[in-house]
Amino acid sequence: MTGASQTIHASGPARDGKIADRLARKRRFQNHVVQGLCLFATAIGLAFLVLILATLLHLGVKGLSLGVFTTVTKPPGSNGGLLNAILGSLIQTALGTAIGTPIGLLVGTYLAEYSAGSKLGDAVRFVSDVLLSAPSILIGLFVYTLLVTPFGGFSGWAGSVALAVIVIPIVVRTTEDMLRLIPVAMREAAVALGAPKWKSIVFICYRAARDGIATGVLLAIARIAGETAPLLFTSLGNLNWSVDLGKPMASLPVTIYQYAGSPFDDWVQLAWVAALLITFGVLALNVLARIVLRPRS
Amino acid sequence: MSTTTKFGDARPGIGAMSVRASAPLHEARISIRNLDFYYGANKALKGINLDFPAGQVTAMIGPSGCGKSTLLRVLNRMYDLYPGQRATGEVMMDGENIIAPGMDLNQLRSRIGMVFQKPTPFPMSIYDNIAFGVKLHETLNRAQMDERVEWSLTRAALWGEVKDRLTTSAMGLSGGQQQRLCIARTIAVRPEVILLDEPTSALDPISTLKIEELIDELKHDFTIAIVTHNMQQAARCADQVAFFYLGEMVEVAQAAQMFTAPKEKRTQEYITGRFG
Repeated sequence: MTGASQTIHASGPARDGKIADRLARKRRFQNHVVQGLCLFATAIGLAFLVLILATLLHLGVKGLSLGVFTTVTKPPGSNGGLLNAILGSLIQTALGTAIGTPIGLLVGTYLAEYSAGSKLGDAVRFVSDVLLSAPSILIGLFVYTLLVTPFGGFSGWAGSVALAVIVIPIVVRTTEDMLRLIPVAMREAAVALGAPKWKSIVFICYRAARDGIATGVLLAIARIAGETAPLLFTSLGNLNWSVDLGKPMASLPVTIYQYAGSPFDDWVQLAWVAALLITFGVLALNVLARIVLRPRS
Repeated sequence: MSTTTKFGDARPGIGAMSVRASAPLHEARISIRNLDFYYGANKALKGINLDFPAGQVTAMIGPSGCGKSTLLRVLNRMYDLYPGQRATGEVMMDGENIIAPGMDLNQLRSRIGMVFQKPTPFPMSIYDNIAFGVKLHETLNRAQMDERVEWSLTRAALWGEVKDRLTTSAMGLSGGQQQRLCIARTIAVRPEVILLDEPTSALDPISTLKIEELIDELKHDFTIAIVTHNMQQAARCADQVAFFYLGEMVEVAQAAQMFTAPKEKRTQEYITGRFG
């Protein structure tokens, strides 16, 4: 090694083989230390995730039965299910996504495509980022004063709107980020064919950014499917069967909140089942989306 | 190297004189007169005068940053996408100054198509890549569209390779195929002029050869302007060659003359590889 490098560098100053070896050993040592730390941190992170999933499975699966899906919530000890909560969650999550996604998509499009250099764009981006990290209970209170107080009561509508407010900034951010990733050359190519800007956005850019935007929407769904705080002041929860959006509506997270802290064993068991359903519902949605969005070759 | 100091003695207007000296047999499809171009305060093109003869290939050569790509982007008003970029002067086509305000840009771009340096297939099927541009300007029924797709792919020498997989994604094609698809997409709109911005610089030699053969074929029906870094390519493809340096057009001549007996010293130095 040393000899070879000295021949190569014959014309310049000779390399000190001992120093080089010492530096190389030091680098290897540092590399091992950092690699070890990274692995350790990864193990801690994964351990918690695995523990959570394991606990959920362990405590949730044993409460699963057909009755959970066919019976509504009932008083303790009377063999109740979660039907109204499952349906309420599905309705409010779907409606919240349906309201929030188009708004978020259009705002994100404005930010990425039309706001270049404008103060309004910067302001919108800032507000959206603040909203992204706003505590969700604040959003619940906001919708409470906006929709619950003036319209005389808790309702599924209010719950859906509160969830939509959470969806908007998530979709705004991912839409803007994904549209910005599209190469300038692709936009120019569309424009060079004589396409007006809106057509190049709708038919080219959206298509190119489709997977990323869909991922953002999925993230948003996963987030609101488990939100409790915004629903407490808006759709409240409902122990009876109701699919009327004008009335208080049950949901899985609010049911978990009410049941998990109760002194009744069967309610606590149902809370675990509800947690299991949310987690695996979101997981199933993600897997499904990956299959649907898989690039066709 | 020592000769570089003499570049300062450029005679203004020499470009325009050369245009007339080597007056093309073909009538000018596009005539540029006294064109200046600015990126903000930076003047990137200075007093350009150049004719693009109909049915011929005009190649623009010169070192990086000389303004040749900028000139191409003036011709289809691509610079309009970017605030702060502007052009003054005349670019005449069919008696109209195409850089004047009020020009319908989408219509202009359907008459002057462009192919870029890197292949830019849209994330959709091969068929839809071509139909996208056509649908912007024409209403065709399915049979007519099928016919147009086949016609343009045939003209772009790609039909044989893709005819059995028109509905598959264009992203699955090789780089050379993608670039020919981009050419097919451009000619499918049936423009009068095609702008090629270093169309082969991202391609392998065999794909390059195919594109060059294609250019030779296409010039019978289209007026072609090509920017290239490759002198051999200019010599092989072009009828007329214009040399740009530091935002000025130094010289324009028929290709044979340009590469054997250039009038300007700077041109000679560039084409013999002394700089650039």
